[in-house]
Amino acid sequence: MANENKVSYALDEAVDFVIVGSGSAGGILAKELSTNGFSVVVLEQGPFRSAADFTHDELSVLMFNELGGGTNDAHQQTFRMDDSSEAELVQGPPPAEYAQTVGGASVHFTGNFWRFREADFNDRSVHGEISGSNHTDWPITYEELEPYYSRVDYEIGVSGAPGPNDAFRSRPFPMPPMPIKSSGALLEKGAKALGMNAQPAPLAILSQPLNGRPACISCGFCMGFGCEVNAKSSTLAAMIPAALASGKCEIRAECAVFRVGTTTAGRANEVFYYGPDGNERSQKARAVILSANGAETPRLLLNSANDRFPDGLANSSGFVGRNLMFNGHSMTGGLFEHPLNDFKGVQVTRIIHDFYESDPARGFYGGGGIDARPLFGATPIAYAAVGGPPGSPKWGAQFKENLAHDFTRFMTMLGSTTSIAMDSNNVTIDPTHKDKWGRPSIRMTYRDHDDDMAMASFLQDRAVELFDAAGAKQHWAEPVEHQTSGAHLLGTCRMGDDPATSVVDKFHRSHDIPNLFICDGSSFVTSGRGQPTMTIMALAFRASEHLMAAVKSNAI
Amino acid sequence: MDTGALSRRLFLQGSGTMAGSALLRAGLPAFVAVSQAACSAREEAANFDNLTNAEAREIIAIAARILPTTDTPGATEAGAVYFFDKAFGTFMADMRGPARVMLEGFQSGVAPAYPGAERFSDLHETDQDEYLLSVEETPFFQGFRFLTLAGVFGMAMHGGNRNDVGWKLIGMEGPPHAWASPFGYYDAEYMAAGEQQNGE
Repeated sequence: MANENKVSYALDEAVDFVIVGSGSAGGILAKELSTNGFSVVVLEQGPFRSAADFTHDELSVLMFNELGGGTNDAHQQTFRMDDSSEAELVQGPPPAEYAQTVGGASVHFTGNFWRFREADFNDRSVHGEISGSNHTDWPITYEELEPYYSRVDYEIGVSGAPGPNDAFRSRPFPMPPMPIKSSGALLEKGAKALGMNAQPAPLAILSQPLNGRPACISCGFCMGFGCEVNAKSSTLAAMIPAALASGKCEIRAECAVFRVGTTTAGRANEVFYYGPDGNERSQKARAVILSANGAETPRLLLNSANDRFPDGLANSSGFVGRNLMFNGHSMTGGLFEHPLNDFKGVQVTRIIHDFYESDPARGFYGGGGIDARPLFGATPIAYAAVGGPPGSPKWGAQFKENLAHDFTRFMTMLGSTTSIAMDSNNVTIDPTHKDKWGRPSIRMTYRDHDDDMAMASFLQDRAVELFDAAGAKQHWAEPVEHQTSGAHLLGTCRMGDDPATSVVDKFHRSHDIPNLFICDGSSFVTSGRGQPTMTIMALAFRASEHLMAAVKSNAI
Repeated sequence: MDTGALSRRLFLQGSGTMAGSALLRAGLPAFVAVSQAACSAREEAANFDNLTNAEAREIIAIAARILPTTDTPGATEAGAVYFFDKAFGTFMADMRGPARVMLEGFQSGVAPAYPGAERFSDLHETDQDEYLLSVEETPFFQGFRFLTLAGVFGMAMHGGNRNDVGWKLIGMEGPPHAWASPFGYYDAEYMAAGEQQNGE
């Protein structure tokens, strides 16, 4: 079996690395470290599924959050918009949405794979300070990260073609883009009429076989679902098999970490977790890497407070959990005369990046992209439940007739934007609630910055123009509202050169604990323009190189 | 990572949140006693595992107004009632009692409004629609509507969508769901016009 461990490490014998989380970063780190001879234990709170376990069951996957650890009944996360109000327990999916499965969110994400650009790393220097925010530059540049983006392209698997506004790339895409869909053709038609550029969407979905994995079969069940043929470039498909084959990596699924232990000298030495049977265990380690995502990583650090580190681990700056960024969104729906059948194939085949750069002439900071896709129109229950224009019948004969006519003729234009880092948006520990394992829950505080809202509205205005130019029979703008949940969990343990204003250095080593490393979305300094996963993966490849070099030079 | 969260959130908000949650939040404590009484009066079911025949009759009647049978099949032909039956024995098992109470509450409004009728299924379709219009904002109806849609458009393994009636209705062929380009009218037109597939 592909997902069987070839090695089992003793709990009381220190392994080289314990990695918490097996997702976009953890999966890559596990593969890189183990195939280079290091002993690795990966602790993943979700089960070890394989491609054969993934279904098109909309009810289980989307409604009951099967791949995300269930509804918030299990997570017990709370949410508030500002710290003057009491956080409330949320019904339905949890506010911090992520996956609990080996491979993490790379298993159920949509696969949009935009590289960051230089602007994402240096906007603060170019455009100046944003009052009341922690907006700043990264300690690294696009040029430094570019070789690792290229590794993601070829080792994880990215399909696409260059666009007119793209950043420099050292190697071409390893394979052509996915076939264009009607939504992409219509976006391109509208863009041409308006003098914009619609370019093929870069996707972490294979258009051609790669490394023993097949090309996409265009089933249409990408967003929120696992890929049953391994064409989606998750770390489950692209990295974990090699990690296991190395014989140096043990993946312990259904193991929920609740504390990282430290020595009196202030070094991480042990990771405590609940095993599949619910009993407490701990694994000794020479070094610990947290790749648990931008909500779980700060929760774990804060929940690991001890006498030596009373405010939580790696938190002398007080920045653990702060600067949470979601990326903003705006959504515009439309209907066309002829069938698009946008439920078929990948979600997105064309994007517009003409508004990526921040433009002072707009009157606010921010940038973003527009894509065309079915969004929730990809799956029939979701479309029937919430699809169609506002004010249209929601039951009865006309409702049914509209569904029968419109499901194949519907598409969405989605705007995705920057989010500005602020103290007031954060992850803290809820004082009351505990999750199903008994761990103090995530309390999320979040309110979009006014500039982020303005950018989302700006992109929606362009989407309306694009629908008109593409010849839509009808279109409607969904209200741009403050977000109350996020799947992009970014910035909560940001990297930086100054230990007073960041949690990790530019090589992901925590400023406070020399053998504690953090590499996931929490490492971000800015949010990018809406699709962070490729950058998480590039950072992981880069971090693994520095980790191995540090070990070899006895610097850990 | 992507906007799956956005869609799921809209999905859940738009559907009155998850059906179970909607039912759960609908002021149930006041009806606990009624629920127990309703349970004791339960009729023996002949064709269902978790519904009485009387409950099934009402569910069929309500679902048939949400997605009626017209010149094409509707909720009845899709077997949506069997989805309800299975749901109350599986993922909504703990909601069966409260849901039964809510159905009783729904029914209790019929007789006062329509003298001579005892239950929803007794009404003429015109009156059924009128009555549903009066309750369409209630958690009961919102939850019921969502379950009906799930029963018609979900996978047949959950009991409904028999013979893929729901998917055929909206033009979603399959399963299996595997497709090849061209997918729709506009990409076929795009390719016929000789546009470069790779955008190069």
